[in-house]
Amino acid sequence: MINEAAYWISIAHLPGWRYKRINELIIKFHHEQKIGIEGFFHLDTEEWKKAYDLNDKETDDLLNVKSEIPNNSFLAESLFNQGYEIIPLISPEYSQNLKSNLKSDYSPAVLYLKGNRGILKEKSIAIVGSRNAGEISLQFTDNIAKNASKEYKVVVSGFAKGVDKQALDSAIAYKGQSIIVLPQGITTFGSGFKTYYRQIVDGDVLVLSTFHPKVPWRTDLAMARNIVIYGLADEIYVAESSDSGGTWSGVKDGIRKQRTIYVRQPDPGEKNANIELIKMGAVPVDINGRRITADYLVHPETRQQGVAEESAEKIADKIKSLLKNKSLSADQIKEQMGTAWSKSTLTNYLKKLNFIEVKKIRNKNFYFIKGTPEKTEPQLF
Amino acid sequence: MVVVDEAHCISVWGHDFRPAFRRIINLVKLLPSGLPVIATTATATKRVEKDIADQIGRGIKVVRGRLLRENFQLYVVRVATEDEKMIWLGKNVMNLEGSGIIYTGTRVNTEIYSRWFDHLKIPSSSYNAGLDAGSRIEIEQGLLKNRWKCVISTNALGMGIDKPDIRFIIHTQVPQSPIHYYQEIGRAGRDGKPAKIILFYNPEDRSLPESFIEGGRPVIKKYDQVVAAIHHEPLGERDLMRKTNLRQTQIRVIKADLIEQGIIREALYGRSKKLEYIPGAPELNPGIFEELRQAKTEELNKMIEYIDITGSRIKYLCDFLGDLSGPEYTNCDNTGLKKIRIASDPEWRKKLEEFHENYFPELIVESARSNIINGVASSYYGVSDVGTAIHRSKYENGGDFPDFLLIQTLKAFRKKFGNEKFDFLVYVPQTKSGNLVRDFAIKLSKTLKIPISHDLLKCRTTNEQKIFENTCLKADNVKDAFNYKHPEEVKGRKILIVDDVFDSGATIKEIGRYFTKLGAEKIAPLVIAKTVGGDLDDQ
Repeated sequence: MINEAAYWISIAHLPGWRYKRINELIIKFHHEQKIGIEGFFHLDTEEWKKAYDLNDKETDDLLNVKSEIPNNSFLAESLFNQGYEIIPLISPEYSQNLKSNLKSDYSPAVLYLKGNRGILKEKSIAIVGSRNAGEISLQFTDNIAKNASKEYKVVVSGFAKGVDKQALDSAIAYKGQSIIVLPQGITTFGSGFKTYYRQIVDGDVLVLSTFHPKVPWRTDLAMARNIVIYGLADEIYVAESSDSGGTWSGVKDGIRKQRTIYVRQPDPGEKNANIELIKMGAVPVDINGRRITADYLVHPETRQQGVAEESAEKIADKIKSLLKNKSLSADQIKEQMGTAWSKSTLTNYLKKLNFIEVKKIRNKNFYFIKGTPEKTEPQLF
Repeated sequence: MVVVDEAHCISVWGHDFRPAFRRIINLVKLLPSGLPVIATTATATKRVEKDIADQIGRGIKVVRGRLLRENFQLYVVRVATEDEKMIWLGKNVMNLEGSGIIYTGTRVNTEIYSRWFDHLKIPSSSYNAGLDAGSRIEIEQGLLKNRWKCVISTNALGMGIDKPDIRFIIHTQVPQSPIHYYQEIGRAGRDGKPAKIILFYNPEDRSLPESFIEGGRPVIKKYDQVVAAIHHEPLGERDLMRKTNLRQTQIRVIKADLIEQGIIREALYGRSKKLEYIPGAPELNPGIFEELRQAKTEELNKMIEYIDITGSRIKYLCDFLGDLSGPEYTNCDNTGLKKIRIASDPEWRKKLEEFHENYFPELIVESARSNIINGVASSYYGVSDVGTAIHRSKYENGGDFPDFLLIQTLKAFRKKFGNEKFDFLVYVPQTKSGNLVRDFAIKLSKTLKIPISHDLLKCRTTNEQKIFENTCLKADNVKDAFNYKHPEEVKGRKILIVDDVFDSGATIKEIGRYFTKLGAEKIAPLVIAKTVGGDLDDQ
């Protein structure tokens, strides 16, 4: 896949194309036609138009980027030589969280990385908020980052002033791990790589960008970058939001997509729009990130166990019917059942079920009903 | 299309590893499959050929041309001393047809041969990797236009030189391997007309390439030092010189090895290149160095074998490079050409002695932003008893510098600056060795009748230059360290600077810079001895 890097760079930044359209092509050539990206680019324009339903403008765009592939080979070599990684959507290293949260509509075709790639596979939280956040919001950010680091969760942040910077600094201070999601091309982050050199060498920081490696910072990229932050995180905490801008629109979007978003309950008299977000459906939390509900004093683990005992039988039945004639990963089961269990709770539970068998495929466990042939679903998303 | 020239550099067997060529392989793998790639080289053994083909992949087709050069006339000349080489060349080089290249083993030898030729009025120029880009280009152009009978050079001259009518190539020092030799002589006679290829060999010559092989790599501790520094922060080459006090040549070897072993890499931080540690990198594997050392020793042995073979010389070289085709060749001193033998010649011996007595190493310090001019030393440090005498006076309480140094230095001055007028002379204020240089300068001043000034002072304490291994740290050590008591007296003046030992030249250059700033018209350095080496030798 490394040898195809120049092709991936070319397809990922088709000018004016939406991720959705790019991903449609990828799904088609990779999953349906199984010809690979190189095969796709070697088709002639008639085949593109016919098999991929491309209009004239799209065909021209593709021809243009095709002529750039040799140049992108030079770019890719330079990136690899400097320790950057290029991870296409079809790679097993691509963030599963991004795929399942952003689906094919918003997942970028390529991730550019530098640092410890393994961090992408860890449980993660994002702490978001205004560049001009107040002291209490920064304190909240610090508390959340501290808890996250204690629980070995990765802190995802956007390297902006205010909450972003606090989230990163706190995660580093508490010896946790972080993902910096850049609002710019990854090669334009020279000073940042210098500042976080030790953390990168020690494997505690991963720098990620979804934009063309050479593009400098832009406002619109900062907005697009927010979507990636929400997409990467398992949990989202909002320290402070005004009623417009990146945080505001990101959270609204998240609520619309039915993601659970924790918003700091503001003190009376605070001038921000946190309360509006809570009214829209975000979950209020206190300064330490604890849910503000009547039963928040119950220890979370006890609570979870209770739920498991109550409905264990029902859940077993659900799993049985879900795995009829196919095998699924824990992520897929979790998603299709819509359970609130964490992945590890579910995995432990699955292993205890005597009618379930496990098989490892490409480093991933797949579960199926004992005695049935294991058929995995070819799934990009 | 992508063309990779000098493709033998890609191979670990063809060449010392060069990270830049390794990157070409990575690039080729990333190119779209329809794009044509051609790799060319004139010097690949079968092993190197296979290595290149394996690394490039892409089902590359190998086309091997013939290596035989029928227009070459190959000779080996056995000699007993360095002097015999110099005498033969002095006597015969003007009788050779056309112009050519003389390869020596070291930079110092390019200078000595070139001065010997000057002495004999043989038009020549000397070339090495230490010259600035402008001078290098000028000499390359001069070579193309036959401006001199010959260019005397280290192996730094060659790649990329395309001159059809180089009529002779002479080596005064045996190369490291038949590959190096073939590569270097391959530049002769490209027009197909006869070209003379001569190799001098004195059994002692073996020790120079051997010392490159044995001492080519710094000790492991220095590798560890570099890794530790880079593990801590990203560093450029100059930062690294400052942090580790290692010579630039050593840092470059270490850098290439560490990149090769996947321990560090070079990345851009803004616009500057810095070396960074690769997270989770393996430990240094010094075993690879031993393998390479053995391979190189074998190759050197094959080169030495060439001296005494009795069969066709070109066939020996072609066989080594894997070209086993063709008939018998009769183009060397083993197959029909008259052997070159050295006969003793008292008249020429005298000429050479006279040259040695009047030979004074030049101090190259000129630069565009300074009014300093190139100076002169009375001798090389370590040659004859000059170095010992200086050491005894400086470090073993041996008293004043002995008079023979004064006589030798005066001779050097008269040779180089006999026609120059100086307003006054100054001496470099010393760090440790008391008044030795001052007293020496007083004697010089009296004999030369140039007034002495005691006004050049150190305005801050410096360390002894010799504790610093590289030019960066040496320059840092003396930067802004000097002060002249009466700066108004410097404007428009011609000044002679006297010192005992010239190494990197950092001190002299700093004083030159300072005097230039004060408005001096000309600054000329005169020292007792120049060290052999300095920073960044190509050989």
